[in-house]
Amino acid sequence: MAANDRGPRYLTWYAFLLRLYPQSFRGRFGEGMAQTFHDLCRERTVAGRGLFRFALWIFFETSVGIVMENFAQMSQLGKTMLRVALSALAVLIVPLVASQVVAGWNWGAGGFVVAYVLIFLTGMAYAVIAKRMGSFSYKVGVGVALMAGFALGWSNMVQVADSGHPENLAYYCVLAVGAVGALLARLRARGLALTLFVMAATLAVVAIILPSGAPPDIARRMAIGHGVCVVLFLASGLLFRHASLARSN
Amino acid sequence: MAKTNTAHAPLTPAVLHILLALSTGERHGYGIMKQVQADSQGKTKMGPGTLYGSMGRMMEVGLIRQSDKRIDSEMDDERRIYYELTGEGRAALEAELKRYRDVVAIAEGRFAYGR
Repeated sequence: MAANDRGPRYLTWYAFLLRLYPQSFRGRFGEGMAQTFHDLCRERTVAGRGLFRFALWIFFETSVGIVMENFAQMSQLGKTMLRVALSALAVLIVPLVASQVVAGWNWGAGGFVVAYVLIFLTGMAYAVIAKRMGSFSYKVGVGVALMAGFALGWSNMVQVADSGHPENLAYYCVLAVGAVGALLARLRARGLALTLFVMAATLAVVAIILPSGAPPDIARRMAIGHGVCVVLFLASGLLFRHASLARSN
Repeated sequence: MAKTNTAHAPLTPAVLHILLALSTGERHGYGIMKQVQADSQGKTKMGPGTLYGSMGRMMEVGLIRQSDKRIDSEMDDERRIYYELTGEGRAALEAELKRYRDVVAIAEGRFAYGR
C-alpha cells in the first residue's frame, strides 16, 4: 500500500526529471517516457513489488540518458557552428577578391568583420530555424526570407554610411516586424506566412513614403532593390503558407 | 534470390532488440520494453532513457517511425504513441541476422573440422 501511495509522487518527480532533456527530445518523447514510467510503476504495484529501488534505478538510467542527449545536442550545435563559420569565411572571399580587383571597392577591416558577423548570424539563424521542420517549403521559405532580410539590412547599412541619411534607418523597422512576428508565431509556418506578408507591405509603404535623398540614378536602383525584396518577402510568405497547408492536410 | 543489403553497419544490442520487438508489428514504448524482456528471457533490462534515446537515433536514420496514437484496449483508456519498422529498419534487421548466421556458420565449421 505504501508503494501505491508513493507512485504519484514518483511520477511527478519523473516529470520534473524529463524537463532536463533537450527541448526537441522532450517534445518528441517526453509524453511517451512519462507514460512508460507510469505503466512500469503500475505493473510493479499490481505485482505487489516495491517501487523505491525500481524508481531509483529508472531515475539513474534516465539521468544517464539526459546527459547523453544534452551532450549529443551540444556536439551537433558545435558542428553546425563550425560549418556555418567556415561557409561564412568562404562567402567573404568574394568581397576580399573584389576589393583587390574592383576599383572603388575599398572595405576596411571593420567592414569585413561586420560582414562576417552578419553572414555568420544569418547562416546560424537558417541552420537553427530550418532544422525545426522537415518540410521543403518551410526550409526554402526560411532561406528566402533570411536572404532578403540580409540584403535589405546590409544595403541600408551601406546606404546610411555612404549617404549620411540616418532616416533610412527606418527600413530596419521591416526587420523588426519580422523578428517580432517570428517570435509571436513561435516559428510556426502559418504565423510566419502572415509575418512575411506584413514585412512586404511595411517595406513597400516605407519605400514609397520615405524620400531616399539619393541622386536619381541611385534612387532608381534603390527602388528596384526594394521591389526585389518585396517580391522575395512575398515569395517566402507563400512558401510558408504552402508548408502550413501541407501540414494541416 | 533477394539481394542482401551489406551496407548496414552492425547494430548495438539495444537497437537489435528494438528492431526485433517491432518486427512482428507496431508497439508502444511499454509494449516494446515488455517484448524485449520476453525476447531476451529477462536478460536485457532497458529503462525509458535507453529505450527512447535509442529510438530517437533510430528514427533519425529511418529505421523506425511513429505510426499512430491510440488506445491500447488491453491496458487502459489512455492514448499511446505506437512505433513501427520502416523498410530500411527491416533491411537492417535482416542484414544483422545474416551477420549472426555467418558467424555461427564459421564457428560451427571450426568446431567440426578442428582448429
